[in-house]
Formats: sequence, C-alpha cells, structure tokens
Amino acid sequence: MTGKEAKKIFTKGILTDNPILVQVIGICSALAVTNLMMNSLIMGIALSLVTAFSSLTVSLLKDHTPKHIRMMVQVLIISAYVIMVDIYLKAYMPDMSKALGPYVGLIITNCIIMGRAEGFAQSNPPLPSFFDGLASGLGYTFVLLAISFIREILGFGSIFGISIIPSSFTRWTLMVMPPSAFFILACIMWIFNNRSIKKQREGVEKK
Amino acid sequence: MKNSFIYPIIFMALVTAVFIAVLAGLNFVTADTIAFNKQIQLQQKILYIFDILPEGGSEKDIERVFNDNVIEKEWGGVKGFALVQGGREKAYAVPISGAGLWGSITGYIGLSNDYTKIIGIEFVTQSETPGLGGRISENSYKNQYRGIDISGKTDNFIISSPQPGSNIDAIAGATQTSAAVVKIVNENLKAFLEEVE
Repeated sequence: MTGKEAKKIFTKGILTDNPILVQVIGICSALAVTNLMMNSLIMGIALSLVTAFSSLTVSLLKDHTPKHIRMMVQVLIISAYVIMVDIYLKAYMPDMSKALGPYVGLIITNCIIMGRAEGFAQSNPPLPSFFDGLASGLGYTFVLLAISFIREILGFGSIFGISIIPSSFTRWTLMVMPPSAFFILACIMWIFNNRSIKKQREGVEKK
Repeated sequence: MKNSFIYPIIFMALVTAVFIAVLAGLNFVTADTIAFNKQIQLQQKILYIFDILPEGGSEKDIERVFNDNVIEKEWGGVKGFALVQGGREKAYAVPISGAGLWGSITGYIGLSNDYTKIIGIEFVTQSETPGLGGRISENSYKNQYRGIDISGKTDNFIISSPQPGSNIDAIAGATQTSAAVVKIVNENLKAFLEEVE
C-alpha cells in the first residue's frame, strides 16, 4: 500500500464519502450521544477502533469465508470487538461506561461497520481495509464532535465539561434534548453538501 | 470445497470458538476489576448519604471508611445499610425504587436511627434527561434532603415546590422527574415506616 492510496482512503472516509454527511448511515448514535463532547469523543474512538479491527479481521478471513455465510461471520466479528470495548470501558472507565449506557452495545448495529465490512473489506487486502475502517470512524467522530460542540456549549455552557460561558447566559434546554441533534446535523449536512456540490460544478465548468 | 455442505458449518463453528475463547479470557481477566468498580460505586453512594465521604479520597480510602463505619442491615426483607459509630447504630440507608420519567429510578434514602429525620438521598440508577431531570444526581438537588424532620408524619413526607409547605425545591424544566422522585420517596418511606412499626 502506497502513501497515495492511504491518503485517498482517508480523504474518502473523512470528507468525500463521510459516513454521516454523505452516506447518511449510523446517525442514530450520532443523535443519542452528542449531548456532551466527552461522550462523543469516547464513542467516536470506540467506533473507529471497532470498525478498523473488524474490517481487518473480515479482510483476513475473506478468502476462507464461504460467500453465502459472510454476513453471519461479519456480525460475529463485529459483536466480538464491541463486547471487548464494552468490557474495557466497564473495567477501566466505569463513569464513561455509565454515561454511554446502552449505546456501546448498540455499536454492533451501527451501519458504518457493516457497510465498511461489506463494501470495502470483503474485496480488499487487510491493511487498506484497516485504514478504511479507521478513516470512516474518524469521519464519524469529527461530525459527532462538531454536533456535540454546539450542543454542549449552548446547552451546558461548557466544552469537555469545562465551564466557559458565565451562568448568567440562559442555557438552551432544547440543546440538551436529543431532537436538537436533528437540527444541528441537518444544518451541518446542508452546509457540507452545498459546498461539495459547488465544487463539483466548478470542476465541470473548468473541463 | 468451499461450497460443500459441511464446510460453512465447520468454518462458522471454528470462528465462533476462537472469538468466544478470546472474550472469555478477557472477561476472566477483568471480572474482578469490574466487580470492584461496582462495589466502590455503591459504597461511595452509601457514604455520601451518611455524609462521611472522604473528600478527594481514593478508592482504597472509600473502601476503608465504608468497612469501618457501615454494616449491612435487614428489616423484614428490606436490605439496607446502617451507620455504626461508637458501637451504636447512628443512621440507616434504606433502598427506594420506582418509575421516573424515562426509566426506573433506584437509590437509597438516609434516615436517622429513630426514623424521625431524613438525612440524605442518593440515586444508584436513573436514566432521566441529562442536564434536566438528570440533575437529580447533582449535589445541589440531593443536599436538599439533608435534615428534613418527618417526626409525626405518616404520609407526604416530602412536599415539592411550588406547593404550600414545601421542603424541597423542584428542578426547573424537569417537573415530571421532580414529581416522580418525590412520589418514589414518599411511597417507599411510607411502606418502610409501616414495616418497622
């Protein structure tokens, strides 16, 4: 794998093929855990690691996996990694485990992981698959952090739990509630897609 | 060979066995740590109710203070904790549970040894809206439950604002959760006091 290929995989995962903004998958957890930046960060790291390692494993096993049971194998691999993350959080970060609650277990059902396993790892060598999973996870993490930045600062007046807005500022109750993530996510998508459409158009006109 | 009938079964069984082995190993290694975390969390909460939580104390401190001062106690099937100082039972922590707004709320409420005063409250599980109802877990709400006189009362021990004669301030923007907590405390206390009498 060359550096150029790696760069292409990362730009795809984070920007041009961003799982949330472009593919619009995995947004359930994006709405649920973005009330605080710390939750989003841990969730993003957990998802990136699970996606990266399950893509790696799926790719390693792909030559031996019978085609008609490949989805079963993928789900098995994904759930095993998710349980590992869950156990790790419970043992070494109990507070975070409590804050994320059932959403760690629900990583199993996150479409991003299955999407990467099916769409990339199944037909690519292990190392690129690993980076592809990682890149998609990072793309997810960045969007989550962007949403939670807006929600936390308006809803709690803080960033990563550190208070930065004086308490005289009236907190936006809506920002604390899950529906606010809908509005923010939609706005981010709008801005992002508007820009990429503009870029595409410019590209066409140049030609 | 890959398309034979038996190969997929063997393959699946093999992959499953490998992952189970890995997970079982991981579970075995971390089981003690997880159990310890859970135990410390509960002990910390009980110490908070009795207001003897060592400030900035490490996990070891919490465990030591807990073992020195607190014993388990049972009242006719209700399992709680008792604060023992100088050989005498000074206060009790009694379990409470009930429905919150989003899910069940469980916790402990502290009572003085003659059952005439509420000395504190702490929640073990709650899934209220973070930042709104979830603030019942913040000290500013819980500290209101310190030293409430309930002697002579048989019902409605806690009255939430804005009702007349209130002794607890409800959380703004979380009316339902505040009402649920008051209801849980009142119902559980009533049942418990009838049990002890």
